[in-house]
This record gives sequence, C-alpha cells and structure tokens, in this order.
Amino acid sequence: MSRLAQHPVIEFVRGKKISFEFEGRKLGAFEGETVAAALHAEGIRYLRSSPGRQRAQGFFCAIGKCSSCLMEVDGMPNVRTCITLVRDGMVVRRQKGKGELLE
Amino acid sequence: MSCLSNPDLLVVGAGPAGLYAAIEAASAGLTTVIVDEGISAGGQLVKQTHKFFGNEDFFASVRGFDIARRLLKELSNMDHVHNLQESSVIGVYEDGIPVLHLPSDTTRLLQPERVIVATGASEKFLQFDNNDLPGVYGAGAVQTLMNQFGVMPGRNVLMVGSGNIGLIVSYQLIQAGVNVKAIVEIADRIGGYEVHANKAMRMGIPIMLRHTVIKAIGTESVEGAVICEVDENFRPVASTSQELAVDTICIAIGLNPSIELIAQAGGEVKYIPELGGYVPVRDDNMRSTAEAFFVAGDVSGIEEATTAMIEGRVAGLTVVKDLKGNTDLKKLESLKRELVAFRNGPTSARIREGLRKLGIVSSSKEHQYGNPNNPEKYMGKMRPVIECYEAIPCNPCETSCPTGAITVGENINDVPVIDYEKCNGCGICMTECPGLAVFMLRELPEEESALIGIPYELIPLPEKGEKVHLLGREGETLSDGVVQRVFKSPNKTHGVYVKAPAEIAGEVRGVSPVSKTDNTYVCRCEELTVQDVEKAINDGYTDFEELRRRLRISMGPCGGRTCRLNTLGMLSRKTGRPIEEFAPGVLRPPSIPATFRSIAGQEGAKDE
Repeated sequence: MSRLAQHPVIEFVRGKKISFEFEGRKLGAFEGETVAAALHAEGIRYLRSSPGRQRAQGFFCAIGKCSSCLMEVDGMPNVRTCITLVRDGMVVRRQKGKGELLE
Repeated sequence: MSCLSNPDLLVVGAGPAGLYAAIEAASAGLTTVIVDEGISAGGQLVKQTHKFFGNEDFFASVRGFDIARRLLKELSNMDHVHNLQESSVIGVYEDGIPVLHLPSDTTRLLQPERVIVATGASEKFLQFDNNDLPGVYGAGAVQTLMNQFGVMPGRNVLMVGSGNIGLIVSYQLIQAGVNVKAIVEIADRIGGYEVHANKAMRMGIPIMLRHTVIKAIGTESVEGAVICEVDENFRPVASTSQELAVDTICIAIGLNPSIELIAQAGGEVKYIPELGGYVPVRDDNMRSTAEAFFVAGDVSGIEEATTAMIEGRVAGLTVVKDLKGNTDLKKLESLKRELVAFRNGPTSARIREGLRKLGIVSSSKEHQYGNPNNPEKYMGKMRPVIECYEAIPCNPCETSCPTGAITVGENINDVPVIDYEKCNGCGICMTECPGLAVFMLRELPEEESALIGIPYELIPLPEKGEKVHLLGREGETLSDGVVQRVFKSPNKTHGVYVKAPAEIAGEVRGVSPVSKTDNTYVCRCEELTVQDVEKAINDGYTDFEELRRRLRISMGPCGGRTCRLNTLGMLSRKTGRPIEEFAPGVLRPPSIPATFRSIAGQEGAKDE
C-alpha cells in the first residue's frame, strides 16, 4: 500500500519523518500517524495472531473500539495500535495470542 | 486542579455531539472536561470529506473536517474547558469516573456534577467465511486510513452495503484513486440517498442488489472475495457465486451505539432496531434515566452528524439549566424544533418510529414535489438542471443562490423548485449541492449541441480545451467532448463545462480524461481504442470500409490481421446485423511490411 501524494479535496499535512522498528525491520513513518496507519502504509496488515487458532488478524474499526489491532509496543502487550501515535525509535511487534505479561 | 477533578460537566467523546455540548456548557460558564480516545479531537468529522446536508445554520455544504476545525477553534477561545485527548473513560464507578491517559498509562479519578455521554458508535460486523482476515475493514476504518492519514486502504475494494456510508465511502475511494469493483446490497433496493447512489454509479461502480459477500479469500491478507445472490429470505444461493479479485472488503452495514457507560451509570437501555440496536432511554432534553447522565449523537440512536450536533447543544443547554437554575430556553426550544423539522422527511421514517418507541414525538409532513427541470420556454438559456427528486433534509441550493431563484421552502425536506425567470445561470448551486445533483445546461440549437456543466471533485481537474469522455449516469462513455470552461470553486467542487451533441445532452452526467481511462485497444498499429471505434460507429460509420476511411483501422502495418474481426464484431453488436453481412474490406498488398528496396531489388531486376 502507499500514501496518497495528492487528493482532490484534502491537503495532507504530514509531520516529521521518523523511523520505528517492526519485527526487526526498520520502517519509516510520519509524526502524527498511528502505529496501525504507519504499518498499513508499509503494506503490513497482519498485526497479531489470534489467541485460540493463531489466525492472522488486523484492525477492523481503526478508531479504538474493536480491539482487533492489539500489538506489543515497546514491550507492552495489548496496545490498541489504531489509536496509538507512532514515535521515533518505537519497537513494535506482532502480538501472539494474549501477549506476554510484563516481568 | 480541583476544577479538573470536580468539573461541572464531563463530556465523553469529542465528536460533533460532544464538542457542541461542551461549547454550550462552557459558554454558559460551566467548568467542562472533554475526554476523548482519539489522537486529536473531532471524532468522525475529521475523516468526512463530503459536504454535509442540512441547512446553513448547521454547516450544510461544509465538509466534515472543516466543521471539526471550526468547532475546535470556537472551543479553544473558551475558558473553563479542558480537553483530554488519548484518554479513555474506563467505566462508571460509585466513587467516580476513572480516566485512563493512554500514552502514560495512568488514571485520574473525576467526580463531575453531570456527564454527557457522546461516545458514538462502533461498526457492525458481518458474518461470512474468513471475515477476520486482515483487509476486511469497517467503512469507518477505510475512511480513517484514507482521509485522515492519506494511506491507501487497498487497490481494489468490494463494498458491502449501500446505505449512505457505503455509497459515500465508495465515492471517496474513487477520489483517492482506489478502484471499487462493486457495491453489494442484500436488500432489493439501495439503502442510502438517491443522490449519493447516483454519484457512485456515475463513477461506473456497479451496485448489485440482492447480493452479499460469503467468503474472503487469502491467508494473511484479503486476496479476493466470493459474492453471490440471495433468495427472498436473504439466504445465499451458492450456485450464483462469483469471485472478485479484491484486496479489501469494506463492511458498511451499519453502526452499533456505544452505550456501555450509560448502562454502567444505571441508565435504562432498550432494544430499538430502528435506532441501531440497544439505545439509552432518554427524554427530549437528552437526559437518560440516570439523572446526572445525558446522551447525544450516535450513542442515542444512529443518525448523522447534523442531528448529533443539535442533540449535543440540547444536552449542553439542559445541563446548564440543571446546574445554574436557568438556561437560554428560547435557544433550547428552537433547537428541539430544528430536530423535529430535520426528521420530518420520508428518509427519517425509521428514526421517527424508533423515537416513538422511546416516547419522543416527532412529526412527518407531506412533501411538495416540483418538477423544476427544463420547461421548453427557457431552451437556450444557461440554467441548472436539478436532479434531486427524493425528499431529503437539505437546502444549500436555496441558500447559496444569489438571485433567490431556488426555493426549498420552510420544510427542509422538500425538493427544490426553480424559477428560471430569476436564474442568472451562474452555476453556484452546482458547486454547493452536497449531493452533486445539480448540472448546468444550455442548448445551442444552431450547432445541434449543448453546453453542459458537470460538478467535478477528482484530480486532475480537466483544463479548458481538453478532450474528455462524456459519461452517462452509470459511468458509461456516451461520446467525446471538449472542455469549454472550468469554474474553479474554493470549496473544491468545481464546474466543468463541456459541449455535447444535442441528442445526449440530457444524459451526460460526468466526464473523464481521455488518456487516463481509455487503454483498451482494438487496433494496435493505429492505437485505436474500443471507445474510438464505438464513437465512430455511434457517429454513423456503420460499414467497415467507412470506418477504415474514418479511423485508418486495419490500414497499419499488420494489414488488419489484429483488428479486422474484432471491429466487425463491434459493428455487428452495435448494429444488430450478423458479421456475414459486412464486407470485410479489400485485402491490399503489401500484406506484410516490405521496403521498396526489397521490391525493387528483386532478383533479375538489376539496373547494371
């Protein structure tokens, strides 16, 4: 997927270019984007595997209501990445099941 | 800090209802805290790129994201307001309301005097095989990605549901350059407003009634969808299934009110399907059965942003009355009348029925239907043709008209009537109509053609003198034309004026750039497309030899081997005559590209 460069109605004002880590890969993003949106722009839709049947899942509502986008962010599991801003140097991992509890 | 932990009012949700509730409360001097989960305030307004219906007092014809900006600006000038973003109300407890600040993972306990719950709604989820696959997205999610973050949700989308949201998002996908393969609708009629459906169909999106999605294909992401027809009980008919190559399935089948906090506060909730599911029981001042808790917007019943804003104001003014002993009653009553007026049209019948079940009376009215269009007397005068036949609550055409030629009247649900005597042909109504349902027309009898103005919201905007395809109501190419004039409007709905043959003037409802869409070739040598050939046939060249002289088709280096049969087939389909009746044209030499040197240089023909 990719970001829209131009649009007939909207002017996108993007923040500073930053980078974050996803599953060991370094990815680019813009300040002001959510983690889920930044991942989607990089073509990543598979955000976690479900607790029971280990099925690939992504977000569904993108506004914090459905909790389908839970990921591990900077070591913290169960973060709703669709309403969490991406930050420079953030480490994001696909969550497996219910996530590992913090030590 | 005491006013932050003990505010007069806590507003949960910073969407259109919550923001307006806060504006009314804060402007009357109440200390107000707004808590919202999003990364910025505005709720779903920030991703609404279409112009709103309704009347001008409530931002009609203003795009959603601009409404959010204006409300936030108004709030930022007010004292007594604290706005807590990226914060969630965890629940309603006996000792207060804990608010979780998500980035710091810390909570703060609030003990407000009153609470307005404006938590909105969540997407309804549809059951089909593999519906949990990444790429199956709610319509709101697609809008968030595309309109808030400028991220393409996919390349090819199947839209499920033809209510207003499904129709609007389909159109917005096209604006973002995404292909919408189809809209499937399980019912036997389109759910949303006619003008929204027309906008989508004009883009060439097929709307398949009595169809649904039964399977998403893929393992880690959507790679396709299986759709099929349904029977009279809405059960899929497996034998009719077909596969679509899409990477995104967008679910737009409705919304569920987010009632959790009201229920926790002890407020009664009731199942009312007309309002979206379980909704809080409330009075016409938006007070729930839990005395200190109010509701506003989609949480009180799925409707739309204009009524959400009015409900927010009603709730805010009522809280002011509770805490200060008085409020601007005149304003409160007039807002409640606005709500009744807004809902008295036929498209609000379900809402009225739902409200009736809550004991809230709403009235309906008979509607006048004028036929505004095209009295012969005004042939040759530049004038609008208004294709707005469904009574919906909207009147920017009336309020934007500088000469007072268009009347919707007191009942905002009436359809517009135009007085061509007063109309000066300026075209402002074309650029203001949120439904893109106003076109301009001027017949040019001496040329057997007509000038047509088309509302246009895509990029690139065609330029004067540019050749474009003239499209019909379902996005089909009728003919080609040349842009005569471009009327650039600051609201980004521009007017593109084209000249079209007189006989199709009533059919042309869209334009598309020639180069962008027309890459379907019949003739490779002369680069002739299906549209080129069809247009020539439409223009009366109904014989192969004539077409050949007109287009040079079959006269290139291949000698017609590539295009002849296809062209004859097109002629046959267009004219209804069998191929055998057409002469296939003379097969002249050279039948392969050959140089004169090769011909002149044949053996035994040397000069020397």
